[in-house]
Amino acid sequence: MLEELRELWRFRYLLQMLVARELKVRYKNSFLGFAWSIVPPALSVIVITYCVKGALGVGVHNYSAYLLCGIIPWTFFSTAVLDTSQSLLVNYGVIKKVYLPREVIPIAIVISNFVHFVLGWVVYFSAFLVLFPIIHRINPHFDLVGTPLLPRMAWFPFIVLAELILVTGFSLWSAALNMFYEDVKFILQTLFSLVYFVLPILYIADVVRYSGLMRDRPWLYNLYMLNPVPAVITAFRAALLEPAMPQEFNKSLAALHPTPTSVPVPPMVYLGAFLISAFIAWSGYAYFNSCKWRFVERS
Amino acid sequence: MPPEPEECAAIEVQHLTKEFRIHHRGSIKQAFLRRLGGKDHIEPFTALNDITFSVPHGQTLAVVGRNGSGKSTLLGLLARVYKPTSGSVRLAAPGGGPPRVAPLLELGAGFHHELTGLENIGFYGALLGMNAKQLRERTEAIVEFAELTQKVDTPLYGWNDGAKLRLGFSIAVHTDPDILLVDEVLAVGDEAFQNKCYRLIAELQANQKTILFVSHDLAVVERVAQRILWLNQGVIEMDGSVAEVLAAYRAASV
Repeated sequence: MLEELRELWRFRYLLQMLVARELKVRYKNSFLGFAWSIVPPALSVIVITYCVKGALGVGVHNYSAYLLCGIIPWTFFSTAVLDTSQSLLVNYGVIKKVYLPREVIPIAIVISNFVHFVLGWVVYFSAFLVLFPIIHRINPHFDLVGTPLLPRMAWFPFIVLAELILVTGFSLWSAALNMFYEDVKFILQTLFSLVYFVLPILYIADVVRYSGLMRDRPWLYNLYMLNPVPAVITAFRAALLEPAMPQEFNKSLAALHPTPTSVPVPPMVYLGAFLISAFIAWSGYAYFNSCKWRFVERS
Repeated sequence: MPPEPEECAAIEVQHLTKEFRIHHRGSIKQAFLRRLGGKDHIEPFTALNDITFSVPHGQTLAVVGRNGSGKSTLLGLLARVYKPTSGSVRLAAPGGGPPRVAPLLELGAGFHHELTGLENIGFYGALLGMNAKQLRERTEAIVEFAELTQKVDTPLYGWNDGAKLRLGFSIAVHTDPDILLVDEVLAVGDEAFQNKCYRLIAELQANQKTILFVSHDLAVVERVAQRILWLNQGVIEMDGSVAEVLAAYRAASV
């Protein structure tokens, strides 16, 4: 594995060019260009604040902030994994003719998606830490409220890194498996559209904690949180936002008198989820390397 | 005894064998049924069987043979796209050490049609092993050789095939390769550009560059090659001078 990492390092200029190409191609012929990385999250904040919040009866103060903390990490994860599943086929003409460490291709897709992910957070922070507090001071009748600056935001870069590791691992798996089974792309598409509702994206994880099966079984909730995707989303919310009560998302939960624990996930569970991510990354890289020579030997 | 050929050869191939276990790309269902039916055992197909030859620096070697004789597999092994099943491939620069190897790609492979010619030169050049400095220095020469002028600032989807071929060829030869690997497309474009390609190849040959090319076009082989390797069903049928091998190959092809 060390030798393969060294080889990857030797090809860093190609990797850089490949990332640049991905980014150029994505918005090549659009008028707004790179702004398209920023416009969708910005628009979704407005729509969530003025439409979705009222329709769902969500009482939480900064629903759009809670939602974006779920949507931004989820979009990075799902888009990168789906894009990479096709990446080797798209570049088949190249890998069949020229030597390059083949993992360069999925890794470049992950990095280009990572750039969009970071831009999404830039929008998030400038809106909730700068723009909205100013708007609120000028005219409190607008429903746009900022979020406070918290010391625990220092965790943010580590959570970003944890997600990058997770996404890279998943992407290497999906890129390699898709070379042998065409179902992979469809399985991922179906799975992703379903788990969107199962994962704490539209609501906070505490809602899951207090509803249904997990109500009396904290261990089951911890098991759910060992899944790195809900763990990473919950970690983002825990680091960036004030703790919210589950009944602010779902009024029926008020009857259960949920305790106002601010961090409902034990640190050991976060650590476990991180170790699982690291394992996915390591095994994905090992699996990719074990079969990368067979990618072109098919008919 | 002559000196050891390994010392100076550009390409040193020894007892090279390549078997393919053809993995049909399919669905998970098919894979499952195959396994269930006990038909997971895939017959290996031997594309190359115990090939040994060496090419000295500066030589131009043509590989001929019928379809399925192993020509493209050999090229893939030299380009390190495949891993040998057994045997070895050693490529070396004239002074020893790792050589710069440039494969000529098929039309379109490696290009992105939404990007301009210049943007494509950046990626394609990096793909063939050029670094940022070399790319900056050579971009002008690449554009000039490919006769593209202003067109190079427009996206590739508006280009004709000839222009794309010229660009690909131009980038590949401007990587200043020690070893050039060519599958079929040795000279591209219209007749005038083809002549230019031949002049450039003659120049490469004069500069002691090694060229290995696969071709069905015997007229091109006769014109450019200094030696011919004839492959037949994965083994070397004949390896020798142009006149000798061509005569035998033509006689066998009738």
